[in-house]
Amino acid sequence: MRALSIAATGMMAQQTNVEVIANNLANMNTTAYKSQRAEFQDLLYENIERPGAATADTGSVLPSGIQIGVGVRTAATYRLTSQGNLAQTGNPYDLAINGKGYFHVMMPDSTDAYTRAGAFSLSPDGQIVTEKGFIVVPGIAIPQDALSVTINAVGQVQVLVAGSNLPQTLGQLELARFPNDSGLQAIGDNLFTESPASGAVLTGLPGSPGFGTLQQGYLETSNVNAVQEITDLITAQRAYEMNSKIISAADEMLQISSQMS
Amino acid sequence: MENTFLIGLSQQIASHRSMEVIANNLANLSTPAYKRESVAFEQYMMNVAATEAEGGGTVPVSFVLDRGTVRDLSTGRFEQTNGVLDFALSGPGYFVVDTPEGERYTRNGHFQLDNQGRVVTDDGYVVQSDGGAIALQQQDSDIAVGPDGTISIRNQVGASVQLLGKMRIVTFADERTLKKAGRSLFDAAGQPATPATADVRVHQGVIEKGNVEPVVEITKMIDVMRAYQASVEMTKGSEELLKRAIEQLGAVPQV
Repeated sequence: MRALSIAATGMMAQQTNVEVIANNLANMNTTAYKSQRAEFQDLLYENIERPGAATADTGSVLPSGIQIGVGVRTAATYRLTSQGNLAQTGNPYDLAINGKGYFHVMMPDSTDAYTRAGAFSLSPDGQIVTEKGFIVVPGIAIPQDALSVTINAVGQVQVLVAGSNLPQTLGQLELARFPNDSGLQAIGDNLFTESPASGAVLTGLPGSPGFGTLQQGYLETSNVNAVQEITDLITAQRAYEMNSKIISAADEMLQISSQMS
Repeated sequence: MENTFLIGLSQQIASHRSMEVIANNLANLSTPAYKRESVAFEQYMMNVAATEAEGGGTVPVSFVLDRGTVRDLSTGRFEQTNGVLDFALSGPGYFVVDTPEGERYTRNGHFQLDNQGRVVTDDGYVVQSDGGAIALQQQDSDIAVGPDGTISIRNQVGASVQLLGKMRIVTFADERTLKKAGRSLFDAAGQPATPATADVRVHQGVIEKGNVEPVVEITKMIDVMRAYQASVEMTKGSEELLKRAIEQLGAVPQV
């Protein structure tokens, strides 16, 4: 009985849906988290009688035919790349990107990773690093005697050292962009890596055409909409339940047939 | 007597098939732009297998035959997503996508960008405009699609609005003969696609949901199940009748 396996695909799809929603809700307070959506498609169809097959030798044809679908599949889970809100923290090493782009991070194995979570801090040798201690490219070191650090909208890092009235420029932060942001591969810890789906990286200065600007003392919040997620969760749960009803109905039909004689 | 079994069997097979169609509808409850299906039955008259009527003569026997699955073409509920690359069509139109098997048509307007900046479906099939693929440059932003499918973008280098062409939206003379190809795609099966008229409008930031009504499907499910049960009961009854006929008529009289 195919209805059983068809309903099973429906239940599995809704389970994926609930998992994605659960992950979104769990990451509601994760800095710069981008909420995900599961996307579904109908599976292939079995042509029992092809539409347009001749029904008589007089030339009449089937208007619709019999096509029986075999269920549903999860086509993709994609990230909504919309901007999150900016929350003020007052920490000089907290940076939010207002607009498009990712910070470029150097992983311990010298590979590249990208993040929008700008909750940075200083390493023991004064370099700007992520929460995990990975260097933010190009690896700007803040001198110990710096009185204040300013990172402006276009990514220039300036410090004021004791005994000088003029700010001293230490370096420049760059942003990275991709043809398809949603195609980046998430590797956890708020980090992403380039993938065949994302396309090649393009770097540029913050504020230049197509790139966002930096906001010091702010963090980007997640773009998870709690109300939306909860309503999606209810819908998914009900859809799961209805598919399970099909399974029990199909089961009952089988039971009836087995009691036929 | 066997006719009762055969008629019952024809209904039982039809019930199984209806259950599969209902299961597929419910499985696709969350599939964008999914069109619900139902099975169309018809009476299949068979004069050859005529049974003997009371008082002589014959009565034709009719079996049930599932003639086809009929697609409900009504538009699903529109849900606002605010996604830049989410589109819905009002009116009987289809988007055109290029697949390895040739041109396919879809109403599921959830699109993405691929690694070359082209607008593609979830499976990476390129969405067609009147000039082929819709390719965005790195600097492009503010993609806006008008009701007629005209794509305009703002190139941030020049900050000027540019036209990128028009999405290909097509209609068909008979939408029902389109074949479902899975993955939310339809196969025209030889039917020519004609450019859509102005009554088909593109909505950006909106997704068309499937038109499956859970209440209807669950009700039908119960209906099918009970009809199946009734048919099995009928088979059981006539089997009992046959059994008794054999027992009583075939009994050797006691002397």
